[in-house]
Amino acid sequence: MPSHDVLVIGAGLAGQRAALAAASAGASVAVISKVHPIRSHSVAAAGGINAALNPEDSWESHAFDTVKGSDYLGDQDAIEIMCREAPDEILYLEHIGVTFHRSDTGHLGTRAFGGASQARTYYVADITGQAILHVLYEQLMKHHGQLDRYEEWFTTDLLRDDHGHCVGAICRNLRDGRLQVFDAKSVILASGGAGQAFKPTTNGLIVTGDGMAQAFRIGAKLMDMEMVQYHPTTLAENGFLITEGARGEGAWLLNADGERFMERYAPNKLDLASRDVVSRAEQTEINEGRGFPDGTVALDITKVPRKRTLEALREIVNIGRDFAGVDITREPIHIRPGMHYMMGGVKTDSYGETNVPGLYAAGEVACVSVHGGNRLGANSLLDTLIFGRRSGEHAAARAKEMAMPSTAAAKLTDAEAQIAAIIARPAGGRRIAAIKEELGTTMNRYCAVFRDAEGLAKAHEIVRGLKEEAATAAIDDRGSVFNQDVIAAIELGYMLDVSETIVVAAQERKESRGAQFRTDFPERNDDQWLKHIDIAMNGGDVPKVDYSPVTITRWQPQERTY
Amino acid sequence: MNFTLRVWRQAEHDAAGRFETYEVAGVEPDESFLEMMDALNDRLVVEGGTAIAFDNDCREGICGACSMTIDGRPHGPGGGTTTCQVYMRQFDDRATITVEPFGAAAFPVIRDLIVDRSALDRIQQAGGYTGVNAGPKPEPNANPISPEDAEEAIDAAICIGCGACVAACPNGAAMLFTGAKITHLGRLPQGQPGRFARVQDMVDQMDSEGFGGCTNFGECEAACPKEISIRVIGRLNRDYLIGVLNHPRNPRGGMKPQ
Repeated sequence: MPSHDVLVIGAGLAGQRAALAAASAGASVAVISKVHPIRSHSVAAAGGINAALNPEDSWESHAFDTVKGSDYLGDQDAIEIMCREAPDEILYLEHIGVTFHRSDTGHLGTRAFGGASQARTYYVADITGQAILHVLYEQLMKHHGQLDRYEEWFTTDLLRDDHGHCVGAICRNLRDGRLQVFDAKSVILASGGAGQAFKPTTNGLIVTGDGMAQAFRIGAKLMDMEMVQYHPTTLAENGFLITEGARGEGAWLLNADGERFMERYAPNKLDLASRDVVSRAEQTEINEGRGFPDGTVALDITKVPRKRTLEALREIVNIGRDFAGVDITREPIHIRPGMHYMMGGVKTDSYGETNVPGLYAAGEVACVSVHGGNRLGANSLLDTLIFGRRSGEHAAARAKEMAMPSTAAAKLTDAEAQIAAIIARPAGGRRIAAIKEELGTTMNRYCAVFRDAEGLAKAHEIVRGLKEEAATAAIDDRGSVFNQDVIAAIELGYMLDVSETIVVAAQERKESRGAQFRTDFPERNDDQWLKHIDIAMNGGDVPKVDYSPVTITRWQPQERTY
Repeated sequence: MNFTLRVWRQAEHDAAGRFETYEVAGVEPDESFLEMMDALNDRLVVEGGTAIAFDNDCREGICGACSMTIDGRPHGPGGGTTTCQVYMRQFDDRATITVEPFGAAAFPVIRDLIVDRSALDRIQQAGGYTGVNAGPKPEPNANPISPEDAEEAIDAAICIGCGACVAACPNGAAMLFTGAKITHLGRLPQGQPGRFARVQDMVDQMDSEGFGGCTNFGECEAACPKEISIRVIGRLNRDYLIGVLNHPRNPRGGMKPQ
């Protein structure tokens, strides 16, 4: 039976960084990923990574921008750590071979990003996530002596011992359907967000909230779940992302009248205000009839010199051509806000520790909280790397103090019986894909840019109903080799659990802050709601709601304008 | 639009495979190839059959998962795109379309259109990384990188590891993939230590995985969804030659990078 000091679940940027940090600290490490690591969704991160590396910039400025961007819901101690450690992380990446953009003089170049008071985003064209992910993967390989990779293995359960400590996981080898117990002194969840609970979303098909639901089911608290980021520029046709780098390079947002409407909403930062602000502005234009008939506004990239677009935004040139039939260097492209990122997740401290001993979380699955009510562009890659590394180091140190746990064989038998029960479900009723479709459109309808009590109540009712239906929904493929049906059934359960926590938290927060805008409570209310909403599992009933304070170190809440 | 699809079906690695023929009707020209496949799968399941297994994830051409050979071309018609970026309007109405997994001796079929591409990882693992751990991290601006070198490195680092180059090559060679990795690291100051050992280790591994040799067909460059230039193979050959002549070491000998 495999046993390791540290078991990392997920192999995107957070998981790979955690694994490298733990291995470098001398721990034995296993990385489990349901896809090949370089297919992880971090690969799609386009724009860049923030760090105050220039002499005229300061980490304090980066931290303040992040606090303000979070609408003061971010925990300032964690934000300070992230921004202080950012420059060193860029140097580390550069050192291992990431090809950050260089200016004509050969020096590192930056681009402007939303909500930032300085151009401090380091980037690799518009493939920053891919460039970093591939180079980190090379480093994982370099450490193969003490780092085992289980690629295309799907985690079905996290394991707890009699004291409630997390001591490993049960995973299914997708190649042959075999289940295996992985014993570990610590488990680091790094399995990303839950974008597939919404439709459309910019997130890939694999982003199904696995880690959030797995942690929730063994008693970990989730936090800030109501904070769902809608990215201002997604393609009308299919929800694909147009990087914020486009506006960073100088593109404008225009309504159907050709008006640069951001002048009315954010007179100083214009198109580069925070994402929540820009998405709300766009949706207001569309709702009030100043959008295009297809429910969009326009992004005009022709403002950027053509040569620069072809060099620095090459992926979106391709996306415009392939998916919208538009040459973005010559004409505006229609865009609208689309679900992009979960600020919320498994509640952790600044070392990634959750309230379940032995369980860590890092990256989008986690909520430290450095993003609070709204994440700044190019802070997510930073979050994955900083807190991935800190989790890996902490878990490696913890491993030195303890003996290897071992899990009873009965746990494996239980897990096998659960899978067998899914496969044996009698036919009839709706298929998994149909239930997922209804979930996605429901969440996108009621839990989007604008929300109210009535819509959220409706969403909650639908999600509860879908949970019941999903529990017996039959699957078609009964085989063991690459059975994508079994996985889809389990993933649907994860998405439904996560969706309910989103809806419950959004109902609970009776104010408007960051990405949560309640049309029935349109003002921010610091007296009552400058606090986190924590959500915990409550058997099969509606999850329990609790509160925790926001950590404020040096920036008192102010009115937020851009 | 209507099409006749001939699709490779194979239950598992050890099972015999065969082409199955499916008629699809009422396809929208702006449907993507994978959306057409999704619809076909939905229908197959409703009819009591088994869905066609294929790899896919991001569906925007960046993750490298999708891997179909369509009418004999890895990633199908059109240049510079992955399978998920292929549209039905690129085919003639009533055409017969043949869909196969990425075919190569080094890519065994796992199921239907899914192949095992881990041989590429083993090439990488043989030495395709920066090798030095020691010393403090240098301030990057102390070593300016010329825009030409940076651009060439990025143009190689853009490889998404999909394996289309291997599937396109009549010899099943992995030279474009390996050349891209060698060029990415070889153009950067960080990649200089161990540069000539790296190329020999990676080429040795490539040979032992059953990839063929390069005889300059150029099909790899044409199939690459990221349009990586065949020049990277020139870089690889040059570094390999310098390595063998000036920095020889016994294959798999004492020079394994740490």
